[in-house]
Amino acid sequence: MGPTSAALDNDAELMLRVKEGDGDSFGVLLDKHRSPVVRFLYRMIQNHAVAEELAQEVFLRVYRSRGTYEATAKFTTWLFRIATNLALNSLRDGKNERSQEHPDDDTDDKPARQVPDTHPSVEQSMVYKVKLDEVRRAVAALPGKQRAAVLMHKYEEMEYSQIARVLNCSESAVKSLLFRAYETLRTRLAHMA
Amino acid sequence: MKCLVETRESVELLLAYCARKLDAENAALVERHIGICPACQEFANGQRALWEALDTWEAAPVSPDFNRRLYQRIEKEVSWWSLLMRPFRPILVRQGLPVAAAALMAVMAGALLQRPALQQPVKPQPESAQWEPVQPEQVEHALEAMQMLSDFSHPM
Repeated sequence: MGPTSAALDNDAELMLRVKEGDGDSFGVLLDKHRSPVVRFLYRMIQNHAVAEELAQEVFLRVYRSRGTYEATAKFTTWLFRIATNLALNSLRDGKNERSQEHPDDDTDDKPARQVPDTHPSVEQSMVYKVKLDEVRRAVAALPGKQRAAVLMHKYEEMEYSQIARVLNCSESAVKSLLFRAYETLRTRLAHMA
Repeated sequence: MKCLVETRESVELLLAYCARKLDAENAALVERHIGICPACQEFANGQRALWEALDTWEAAPVSPDFNRRLYQRIEKEVSWWSLLMRPFRPILVRQGLPVAAAALMAVMAGALLQRPALQQPVKPQPESAQWEPVQPEQVEHALEAMQMLSDFSHPM
């Protein structure tokens, strides 16, 4: 992101205010980005408690870095870079092995709107759970960087260029990551079509 | 239109189309091609199905006490700093001025001790190639010596 776009980034402006000691601006940033960050980490790690713990660490790092913050890139790029690095480290260290072995351990805390019918039958609920479990397993089986790229592209609707900045690689590398990831997912989940 | 699944660059178009991220003009182009190309149709159907499958996966909502826990952690970090500074606080508060003065004197004394001793200004060394007046007798002696040397060097 060039300096002009960075200048237009409202979040970056808020962060610069945090740097000047404005605690309220930090609160605004937290309220705005808390859900996307937790959501992203949850899908990366597939354990809600670990995801929230990592999200806390993300915002703690943002707060700690306020003194040295420079608005050289989009705020969300920086935020998701911290989140991605923490998630990849966590996956590498196997901190959430339990959740990887049993990815549906915390399906009970899903939002109610996941099942379209307000009063789903037992059968519908079971079908939904099986489907969801398969999706989660397929995503969890992707290599870390591919997983991060898919989650940022599909759920956070980020552009290739921003994903590239988050993952610290070229745009063509991101396209390649996504191409391979979607190909794998299509194959694994083909029976669900 | 060439088959889109043949090159990775074109697949991007299909991916964007399935993600509904294409503008109307390009979307119409891709749609027209999909209508006549079975390979692209299969790809698009697979990608759309995948997109729908991924849509079923909603993340759990954030815990209501997320902010409270975060601010507690921030407060804890700030408290650590306060705890670290606590032994020095009474000195700083009650005897602020004398302590500041003592600190200033210590800094000045340190600066004076660190300062290198004053040196005498060094006279610039005379240039090596310096002109000195030569007397006519000296020239005469030199010429004689050269003549003598020349005589020695030639065979008699």
